[in-house]
Amino acid sequence: MSHEGLFSGGTENVMRWVSGAGIVLGLAAAGILIVVLARKPEWRGSAPAKWALLVGLLVLPGMTMLSGNVVGFHKVKNSCTQCHTMDPWVQDMKDPKSTTLVSKHYQNRWIPDDQCYTCHTGYGLAGNIQAKIGGLGHVTHEYLTGVPDVIKIHRPFNVDTCLHCHGESVKYLKIDQHVDAEMKPKILSGELSCFECHASPHPRKKP
Amino acid sequence: MSDVPAPPAPTTPPAAPPAGSARLITAACALGLLGIGFSLAHFIRPSPLLFALFMIVGQGSFGLALLFYVIAIFTDLRRKKVL
Repeated sequence: MSHEGLFSGGTENVMRWVSGAGIVLGLAAAGILIVVLARKPEWRGSAPAKWALLVGLLVLPGMTMLSGNVVGFHKVKNSCTQCHTMDPWVQDMKDPKSTTLVSKHYQNRWIPDDQCYTCHTGYGLAGNIQAKIGGLGHVTHEYLTGVPDVIKIHRPFNVDTCLHCHGESVKYLKIDQHVDAEMKPKILSGELSCFECHASPHPRKKP
Repeated sequence: MSDVPAPPAPTTPPAAPPAGSARLITAACALGLLGIGFSLAHFIRPSPLLFALFMIVGQGSFGLALLFYVIAIFTDLRRKKVL
């Protein structure tokens, strides 16, 4: 049990509090609904029942669902490593001897948390929504339709993800090709992938 | 004329809500409980599968419960000629 207050500690601590609030609100709502269901059917259609349901069916569950979304969207950011399907890639990422870009980013803590999510999610609200829909597809594959033998990236990797951190950095601008009048527009438009010149971030074959 | 008080006027019991409204409320409660159940499962044991179930089944049933509740209220308001 955490001894930290709501506004102290890191995000995980806040999420614990939000989870706790969600559980309490959910139980309270369930209690009201059970009481309503336990009464006579005629009473359920009465005005007092509807007032009770305003709290038990609208206010409390609404807050529970909101808490569930906040906690869920936070937790799923690091859920990529929970399916055994991704084990080879995760092992490569965490392997200190690996020289892949992913491993370097992980070993050097260039991306401190949620490494998979950070690189495989577009920026902004649209990126988050797209990632959630994609994640839902992954869960479907894992539990219902089966994982394909060959795992491929769904769409070409968005160059903006790399440029978000590297673009305009001094080290990046020192490379002639990055600022070349002909190549720069192609890089920025995504026509030229970073991986045309740089090594693939993950092992080319299943590690 | 005597001072005997007049007998109280006969009172009519409040009209019972229609069975349809009560059924809608019952269904709303059941669906609400289902949604809350998935929420609690997701809080207690967070995993991608339970989160997906919470998002689809839990919130879906909760949304349906709210719809039933709103329909029941509108039905009653129309029955009472408020709307």
